Amino acid sequence: MSLVELEGVSKIYRVGDQEIRALDAVDLRIEEGEFVSIIGPSGSGKSTLMHLLGCLDAPTSGRMQICGNDLSSASANRLARVRNREIGFVFQAFNLLPKLNVVQNIELPLVYSGLPSAERRQRSEQVAKDVGLGDRMASRPVQLSGGQCQRVAIGRALVNNPRIIFGDEPTGNLDTATGEMILKMFRDMNAAGKTIVLVTHDTDIAAVSRRVIEIRDGKIRREYSP
Amino acid sequence: MSILVAFRIGLREIADHKFRSFLSMLGIVLGVSSLISTMALTTGIERGTRAFMQQVGGLEYVSVVNKEISNEKFEFWNLSPGRTLRDAQAIRSSASLISHVSPELSYGGVVASGAHSDRQQIRGVFPDHFVVARHELLAGRFLSELDIERGLHSVVIGNEIALSLWPEDDPAATVGKTLLIDNQPFEVVGVLLKYERDEDKRRRAKGGSGVAISRSGRRYDPFRHKNESILIPYSTMFFDFRSGAFPLDSLESVRLDSLTLRVGDLNHFRSALDQVRAALEVTHREVDDFDLETREEWFDRMESSIRATKLSGGLIATISLVVGGIGIMNIMLASISERVREIGIRLAVGARGRDIFVQILVESISIAFIGGLLGVVASVGLIEILKLISPTENVPVLTAGGIMFSVAFAVIAGFLSGIYPALRASRLNPINALRYE
Repeated sequence: MSLVELEGVSKIYRVGDQEIRALDAVDLRIEEGEFVSIIGPSGSGKSTLMHLLGCLDAPTSGRMQICGNDLSSASANRLARVRNREIGFVFQAFNLLPKLNVVQNIELPLVYSGLPSAERRQRSEQVAKDVGLGDRMASRPVQLSGGQCQRVAIGRALVNNPRIIFGDEPTGNLDTATGEMILKMFRDMNAAGKTIVLVTHDTDIAAVSRRVIEIRDGKIRREYSP
Repeated sequence: MSILVAFRIGLREIADHKFRSFLSMLGIVLGVSSLISTMALTTGIERGTRAFMQQVGGLEYVSVVNKEISNEKFEFWNLSPGRTLRDAQAIRSSASLISHVSPELSYGGVVASGAHSDRQQIRGVFPDHFVVARHELLAGRFLSELDIERGLHSVVIGNEIALSLWPEDDPAATVGKTLLIDNQPFEVVGVLLKYERDEDKRRRAKGGSGVAISRSGRRYDPFRHKNESILIPYSTMFFDFRSGAFPLDSLESVRLDSLTLRVGDLNHFRSALDQVRAALEVTHREVDDFDLETREEWFDRMESSIRATKLSGGLIATISLVVGGIGIMNIMLASISERVREIGIRLAVGARGRDIFVQILVESISIAFIGGLLGVVASVGLIEILKLISPTENVPVLTAGGIMFSVAFAVIAGFLSGIYPALRASRLNPINALRYE
């Protein structure tokens, strides 16, 4: 069975009495260990697709199965559980909590999975070392560079040992050299067995993956391997 | 997420916004301190009133009074001898639930010592009187059966009388002195304690001018009657002062000026009164010219006024706590709209709506709890101030129960006012929350 299975998935938003079909009967399969990029211009529906794949939202219609969980009409709590266990997010804007230091930010998903405090601390410190921030563990996000912040975010995505990592324009706020380094980390994670889904509008970045899915007007336009 | 983690997050949030948290606590601080102070005040009033009730004889005190005869028995009026010593004897022998009986004769005479003389009310009593009227000795002794039997010229005087007769002497030192009642010498065998209310005691301790105030007579003093007692043996009273007016009167048949009783056990109050009534029906030959006056109604009125004071004070303090709770709700709403993005991030990494709900609720409860503790501290100061400018006659009494009740109340206010903000925060959509700028 595939890690991600979408069959005829649609997402419809209502604004007043107007229907906006953000996703229109999308079929998609992603196997474990793949490195997939989703590209498309803004308004194409790629963000909506990522929100569904990332279990931040449930589809309006269609069948959606992620990591063996049928989430076609899942409750908010069910989605939260899957997000917590199976999925890691890396955002363009880092989305770290400014009041927490590096280790506490990385620890955040573990807090909600109910691990005891000592184990949480130990695992997050290990992950902080793994992403190369062993010497900055007590720093707050404002004291870190953009690249370092994104490393923290990657650490946070990895700490619960999920099967899928989502990157939503993870290099968008970084200079080219730092962006390269972050992309390399994604490749390394993929090499270590994680399934990676990158969302971007930049075809150059999409070129690091092995499968590119192009979205336009809520439909998958084409798929290719760079 | 465990509650402990929620507490840690909540406390950090409070510590990160000290001034804001303090402002939101302020309502709770004031509410709790006013609730505690109000409770302390009413407890003080309650204790003072209870003590006063005891000092005036308590609920056990019953008075036999004269009554108009009803119309159907009017023609038999002269069958009844009225209240006499025989009534007292009948009650003693047949009303087993009455522990003490105090018949009394009184007489207005001139009381003098050396240069000082004054018209006073003198009362002839039995030893039981000291129990029924709840007298306490400062020095010397009460009147005894021997004083009665022999008709001795002994007298027990109230504190005020001792002071007015011998202003230079300490009241306790007047035992053994001689005073004149209508030119007949009496030996002072006992001096009674000075009876006073709490407020007077405090005022005296503070300014040392208690005597001047109680002498001025302008203010109402419920113990004035007791403090101005001049008590001589019943028999002495009858033979020396009361036998001349109606030569046919005997010690037994003279009409009493007062007949008071003490009920032995309040649990049998009703049956005790029934026994007294039955005994008196016989001695009064079924003429209904007497009635029993109890303090039930009076005390009930006092009790209900205590309750009313408690209720109104509690109500005002409760309102201020509710206002404090609304303050917390306001701040929590402001705080979550400031933290939408944070909540979005927490949701994205797997927090459930319930986790967010608990976090906000715990924060709100923490604010209320800390505010409550500060309120306890503030109330200690507030009570000190209240003691100085006390609007009531009693010292406020701080009780542990009052403190715990108030803090618990504050926590409940924090809980209730946290529910709505917590609900709103927990219902945020993760996508919108993450996009929020």
